Amino acid sequence: MCRAHYAAAAVSWRSSFCNIALLFVFVIMAVGETPVSADELAVVANPRSGIDQLSHDEVINIFMGRSRQLSSGITAQPIDLPATQAEKTNFYRLLVNKDLAEINSYWARLHFSGRIPPPMVAKNAANVIEIVASTPGAIGYINQSMVTTTVKQVFELGTQQYERELAP
Amino acid sequence: MNASWRHSLVYLTVIAVVGISVVFGALFISATNMVTRQRAQEESTENIGRLLDIVESTVGIACFVGDQALAQEVAHGLLKNPEVLGVVIRNDKQELAHTYRVLSTPQLAEQAVKARLSRVVRSPFNPNERVGEIYLDPNPDEIDRQIKQDVSFVGLMLTLQIAGTIAAIILVLIYLIVKPIKRMSDRLHQMDAAAGNQLRIPKGHANTEIGRLANDINALAGHLMASLEDERELRHLSEIGEKKYQAIFANAETGIFIANRESAIESFNPAFSRLLDMHPDTMERNGKKHIADLAWCIPARLSQLICDCIDNNKMCSDDLELGAGNKLTRWLNLVLSPIGDNMVQGVVVDVTERKLSESTALRQAVTDPLTGLANRHGFGHEVMQLIKQHENDPGKCFALMLINLDGFKRVNEALGMPMGDAVLKVAALRLNNCLKSGDTVARIGGDEYAAILPNATGEELSSVIAERIISVLRENFDVHSTPIKLGASIGIAFFPSDGKDLPALLRDAELALSRAKSTGGNQFNFFDTGMTEAAERRRAMETDMHQALPRNEFELFYQPIVDLVSNQLAGAEALIRWHHPEKGLIPPDAFIPLAEETGFIVELGSWILETASRQLAEWQTAGKDYYISINVSGHQIPNGITPEKLAETIRRYGINPSRLALEITEGVLLADVNQALSWLQAVRELGCRIYLDDFGTGYSSLSYLKRFPVTTVKVDKSFVRDMSKDSSDLALVEAIVAMARSLGLNVVAEGVETMAQLELLRQMNCRSIQGYYFSKPVPIEQFAKVATRVEALLASTKNLTAG
Repeated sequence: MCRAHYAAAAVSWRSSFCNIALLFVFVIMAVGETPVSADELAVVANPRSGIDQLSHDEVINIFMGRSRQLSSGITAQPIDLPATQAEKTNFYRLLVNKDLAEINSYWARLHFSGRIPPPMVAKNAANVIEIVASTPGAIGYINQSMVTTTVKQVFELGTQQYERELAP
Repeated sequence: MNASWRHSLVYLTVIAVVGISVVFGALFISATNMVTRQRAQEESTENIGRLLDIVESTVGIACFVGDQALAQEVAHGLLKNPEVLGVVIRNDKQELAHTYRVLSTPQLAEQAVKARLSRVVRSPFNPNERVGEIYLDPNPDEIDRQIKQDVSFVGLMLTLQIAGTIAAIILVLIYLIVKPIKRMSDRLHQMDAAAGNQLRIPKGHANTEIGRLANDINALAGHLMASLEDERELRHLSEIGEKKYQAIFANAETGIFIANRESAIESFNPAFSRLLDMHPDTMERNGKKHIADLAWCIPARLSQLICDCIDNNKMCSDDLELGAGNKLTRWLNLVLSPIGDNMVQGVVVDVTERKLSESTALRQAVTDPLTGLANRHGFGHEVMQLIKQHENDPGKCFALMLINLDGFKRVNEALGMPMGDAVLKVAALRLNNCLKSGDTVARIGGDEYAAILPNATGEELSSVIAERIISVLRENFDVHSTPIKLGASIGIAFFPSDGKDLPALLRDAELALSRAKSTGGNQFNFFDTGMTEAAERRRAMETDMHQALPRNEFELFYQPIVDLVSNQLAGAEALIRWHHPEKGLIPPDAFIPLAEETGFIVELGSWILETASRQLAEWQTAGKDYYISINVSGHQIPNGITPEKLAETIRRYGINPSRLALEITEGVLLADVNQALSWLQAVRELGCRIYLDDFGTGYSSLSYLKRFPVTTVKVDKSFVRDMSKDSSDLALVEAIVAMARSLGLNVVAEGVETMAQLELLRQMNCRSIQGYYFSKPVPIEQFAKVATRVEALLASTKNLTAG
C-alpha cells in the first residue's frame, strides 16, 4: 500500500515537474519568437482539389511523403519554398517541430531509394500561389496575409498548432 | 633413493598440489564459463541495443514512409555486425526487411530467437505514434566464440600459475626441509651420544621446526644417556646388596632354599642341608635335588604346600614331620613365599621342641590330672570329633552316658577330700574296665563321669553296659582299708536322635540322670522328650513362683480344727494356696516340691510364718483364742525358720507362742537327727507347739515320739478315710490315739468327712478333729462365717451324742 502511494506520489511529482519545465519553455518561446505569432501560415490548395479542410496529420503525411493521396482521390502535390524563405523554416517548425537541417537529413535518407520524392520547390510564395492555383493536386503554404482567392486555405498553422504540437 | 622417490616429500607434495589445483581449476573454469556466457550475452544484448539506437531514426523514417529499400539497407548494415544473426523490420502494413545470416549450427537458431530483441519504431514526427517494429536476433556463434576465447585464456593463466606454484613448492621443500633433514639424518648416523656428541642445527633453522626437532633429539639422547647411567649405578648397588644377602644366606641358622613347582631345589644354604640331613645320593632325580623326596611322614603334604603357594600366589606355611621310619621324628616349620616364574622361596626352622611342648600342653588341657581320664574339655572335643565324623558318615551314632556317684558328697564331707579323691580314682579305674577300647570315659565334674559309647547305639546294649557300671560302682570301695559303699545313677542320651550337638546331648543326659537320681538312685534312665518338657514346665513354674510373692499371688487358707472335749473351735491349719494368673489355683503338692528343691521354700516359709502370725495377732486382739498350725518343710530346718527368727516374729506381733504350732513330717527327723533335735528343742523352749504331720505313713518310728519333743500327732487322713470300712485302719487309728495319750501327746485326726467318722473318733477319745465334715480350708474372709457354722454344728452333734 505504502509503496503504491509512494509510486503515485512519484508519478504526480514527475508530471508536475514536466509541467513546470514546459511552462518554462513557453516563456522562452514567447520571448524569443514573437514575430512567428504575427505571421501565421496558411496551407492552401487548389479550389478544385475537392477538399475543404486538411488535418495536421494529413499535412504532415503530404509534405513528409508518407501518403499523398487526398480524400477526394487526387494525388496531392506538395509545393515547398526554397530554404532562403523564412516561411519554410517557420512552416517545418510549426508542422513537425524540426529545423531545416533535420528536414534535409530526412529527405537525404529517403532520397536513397528514390521511391518517394521530396516536395517540389517553388521560387517564392507568389510562385506557390501560382502553382497551387494552376495544379489541382498542388498544396502549398504561404503567409496567411498573402492568401488570395485563387487558392483555398485548408489548414492554418499558427501558434495554436505550435502549442498543440508541443503538447504531449 | 631410486624406488623411494615415490615416498619423498617432494613427490607427495607435487601430487597433492596438482590434485588440488586440478579440482579447483576445473571449478574455476566452469565458473568462468558460466560468468563469461552470461556476460557475453549481456554484452551482445547491450551492443545490439546500441546498434538499434544508431539505426532507430532511419528505421523510423523507413517505417514512416514504408520504404522497403531503406529498411533493407538498414538491415544489411546491421548484419555487418558479427553479433547480429538476423534483422526483421516491419511497419503497420507490411514487412519491410527480413535478413538473416547462415548459422554454423542450426540448433542455435532457437536460442537466438529466445534472445531476440524487439523495439517499437515510432514516427519521426510524433513520438506517440507507433509506425512499426524492428526485431534483432543476437548471433550465438559469436557469443560462443567469445566464451571459448575467455575460457581458454583463463585456463592458460591457471595452468601457468599452477606450474609456477609447483615449481616454487618443490624448491622450497628441497631447500628448506628435505635437504636439512637429510643432512641431520646423515649426522645422526655418525653421532656418538655416549661421547657427548650433539646434533648440529642446520644453518638458518635455529628457530624453525627443524631446529626444534634437532633440539628434541639432543634432549632425548641426553635423557637416554642419563637413564643408562642410572641403570649402571643401580646394577652396581644391587651387586653390593646381593653380596650382603649372600653372607646372610650362607651364615643363617635358618634353612633357606628356592625350589620350583616339582620341588626341585635351585639353591639352598648350609643351614638348610644341615636341618634336612640331606644325603645327595638319595635326592638326586634328573640331576636335581628334590625336597619332596626327603623322608617326610606325609610326603604329599609338602608338594601340596608348594602348589598352593604358587597357584594362590600367597605365602603358605605349615609344620611338617620329618623322619619317617625313624624312631625320633623332627618337626620342621616351612614358610613358602612365591617369587614368580613357578618358583618358591622357603624358610625352614626346626620346631620339634615347640611341637613337643605344645602336644604336652594339649594333652594336659584335655586330661583330668586326678584320674588320668579326659576332662570336660577333652570330652567335649571327643564328642565334637564324633559329630564331625557323623557329618561324613551318617551311619555313625553314639550313646552318651552321664554317671554320678550317689552319696559321694557325704564321703567327701565325712572322710575328707583325700579319701574322696581316692574313691574317684578307683571309680575311674572301674569305669575304664567296664568299657571297650573304642569307648571314651571322662571325668567332667566333681563326682560326675561321662562315657561315649560309639558302638552301644541301641537301648539294649546300653542297658547292659549301664547295669554293669552300676553294679561295679556299688561294690565296696576299700580306701585305706575303710570300706565305703556308694551307688551310681546314670543318664543316657543318644546321638543324633536325642540331640544334634554337644550342649543338647549333655542337657538330655543330665535330665535323664536327674530322673534316675530323683527316683531313688542306683539306676539308669534313658532320655525321652517328656523330660525336656517337664524340665521346661518346672523352669517356667520356678520363674512364676519367684514372681508370685511380690505379686501377692499366694494366699493362706484356714481349715478349722475342732476340740471335741471343749466342743469348740480350737484353731486352724494354715494351708498355702497359689492363685496363678494363667493357670488358676495351683495345689501345694504341685509347687511345694519344686520350691523345696530350688530353696524358694525358705522365702515362702517366712511369708507363711509372717502371714499366720499377723492373723494370730488379729484374733488375739479380737479376743479369739484360736491357734494356727503352719507346715514347716525339712528344707527350712534348721536355717529356713531359725528359732531366733521365730522368736523375733512372735515378739514383733506380740502373740502367745503357745497359739503357734509348727507341723513337721517324719522325714525331717530322719535326715539329720542331731540337727533336727536341737532345732525342735529350741522351738519348744520358745513355747511353740510341734505337730508331727502325716503320722503313720512313713517310718513312724515310735522311738521318735519319745526322743523328739513333739506335742501333737496328726493321724493321716488315709487312715481316717478308710476307718469305717477297714477294720485294720480302725485298729491303727485306735492304737495311735491310745499310744499318744499314754505318751501325753495330743492327737489331731485329719480328713474327717462324715458324722460316722466323727463318732468313731469321739468314742476313741480323740480330742481334735480336722476335716471336710466341719469345713474345707477357706480364705480368711470366710473364716468367721465358717466358725459360726462349726459352732452350730458342734452344738447339734453334742445334742445328738448326748441324746
